[in-house]
Amino acid sequence: MRIKVTSMLGLFAALAFLVSHPVASFGDGEVGEHVNNMQEHLVNYESEIVWFLDELSKIIIAYEDGGSNEYSSDMLIDNWEAVDFHAAIETNYIQIYASIWQGIYGVKASLDSGESLDSVDAQVAGLQKALWQGLGAVKLAARFQSEGLIGTQGDIDSRSLSPSETLDAIKSELDRAIAKSAERLPAEATDIVLSAYLELFEGLEGDLITLDAELVEDLEKDFNVTLPQALGSELSIDDLNQVVSQMKGKLDRSKELMQEAEASRRSVF
Amino acid sequence: MRRREFSKALLTCSLAPCAGLAQNFESSVLSVDDLPELVGDISLYLGRGEGGLYENVLRAISDRNPKLTLNIRRGPTAALANAIVAERGAGIRRADVFWAVDAGAIGLVVDQGIAEPLPSELVKQLRPNYRYRDWLPVSGRIRTLPFNTNAVGIEQIPQSIMSVPEQGLKLGWAPEYASFQSFITAMRFLEGNEATSEWLLKVNSLAKRYAGELGVVMGVERGEVDVGFANHYYTLRLKAGKPNARLGLAFTRGDSGCLVNASGVLALTSDKTVFDFIRYLFTREVQSYLSSEAFEIPLIDGVALPPGVPPLDSISPPAIDLTQLSDLRPTLDLMRELRVL
Repeated sequence: MRIKVTSMLGLFAALAFLVSHPVASFGDGEVGEHVNNMQEHLVNYESEIVWFLDELSKIIIAYEDGGSNEYSSDMLIDNWEAVDFHAAIETNYIQIYASIWQGIYGVKASLDSGESLDSVDAQVAGLQKALWQGLGAVKLAARFQSEGLIGTQGDIDSRSLSPSETLDAIKSELDRAIAKSAERLPAEATDIVLSAYLELFEGLEGDLITLDAELVEDLEKDFNVTLPQALGSELSIDDLNQVVSQMKGKLDRSKELMQEAEASRRSVF
Repeated sequence: MRRREFSKALLTCSLAPCAGLAQNFESSVLSVDDLPELVGDISLYLGRGEGGLYENVLRAISDRNPKLTLNIRRGPTAALANAIVAERGAGIRRADVFWAVDAGAIGLVVDQGIAEPLPSELVKQLRPNYRYRDWLPVSGRIRTLPFNTNAVGIEQIPQSIMSVPEQGLKLGWAPEYASFQSFITAMRFLEGNEATSEWLLKVNSLAKRYAGELGVVMGVERGEVDVGFANHYYTLRLKAGKPNARLGLAFTRGDSGCLVNASGVLALTSDKTVFDFIRYLFTREVQSYLSSEAFEIPLIDGVALPPGVPPLDSISPPAIDLTQLSDLRPTLDLMRELRVL
């Protein structure tokens, strides 16, 4: 498993955000205590992926054989929502979480529309890749957690996020919005964007606007118009990623500006 | 747009440093060098806000006082106020000090009678209008009417907040914003519920809605609206990042439209270290830092106002006990009843 350094930083920022925002809710109900001790549950997560893929194989065979009451494509979603690994990846690496949902809907759509076996296989390959990448990310997060580098869900907010960490947290929230869109939950995706704006970006923009007013105006429009509209439309996940990627570029520029400003800010005493 | 003549004495500010502001420096304001070293443990509940500048202040205090252990619990101001009240109800005292980003949350705690009286010499550091027995405003923010200087002249903006919707101006507001809701709470106290309802209904039928008050000010600057309702510092900050912004600041007189609200601090433990910690917040150094970096208004004499704010003596905020702004529930009920929220 290859995970880039930037991805690890993003992971760390996302975890920091989650630790400091214990009220963060997830669309599929209880997160589960297992996410507070992931190291002990890694074997379970892995076996869940194996089980999920076995069940997927049975569903595909049933479709090849002309359909079955016992195995329908809807079971893909039920099975995914039933496994603990779902919460582990959702709370730790939302970009892969989105890819998993994208893969699930890709396989489901190809089965439901009666596409060729090759097309189904291509979708399955994408889903398998996302699942195993997800396990790798969870293993990394579990190691950080066991070494005390990250806290557990529900910790008291004992530290504040720096502006840079806040901007990283916003980027993670944008990824989470795409994930919700991949889950076919556009209203929830839009709520995440608006919450990220109100709870995170608004605390920064007063400072940021003194550094680059036009950049803030652009981001204001992105948060309140461009991205909500994109989430509410029929754009593909790839197209949504493009919108978010542009926003992330502006957030990265914001981060640079705020780091420079913080470095040159006068001291209190 | 119908032009009306209003007194040229209407307070305005060109957003350039106001003459004379920096001259009134001689006062009894303390320096951090005058204060004793802080020793011991303090548990502080800190309302989130101000983009980390309060954190910088706390870090500086901690760095200067290595024998102080400062335990901070952070959260939305209103939630922390509720937590303090609930903890006291349960017979627990976890917080020694509460630093809130708005006076309304302070009022919620003060109303329970659980804030400790502050030393009188500390209270006397504040300007006379901002002295309270059980809490102190740390820094202020003024309600203002930012206006687009290309679209309207200062003479077109009324001195009465209640008259603003009558002028045919294009208005911008952010009614979901906490500061706006505190302003409406003040309006209820000063003008009554009926007049406030009429005002809200009129503005609701006229105004363009924004998510936050920085958005309001940006909308004014872009010319989407002529005039907005916003705290003063959003205009100053936008002007700092865009010096040629087409923005002016107008102030009404003697009503909620020029309310001076404040962040505030109170003690929940009567203890010398706690009081000395609070003294640090009123030193020249901290007050000038919040003024220059956060564009907030120092409420003690002897510290320069942020550039672009007229002298406090020339502003006529309404006479209102800021802790009354904790009476937010009827405001929200009213705004919901009128479908403003």
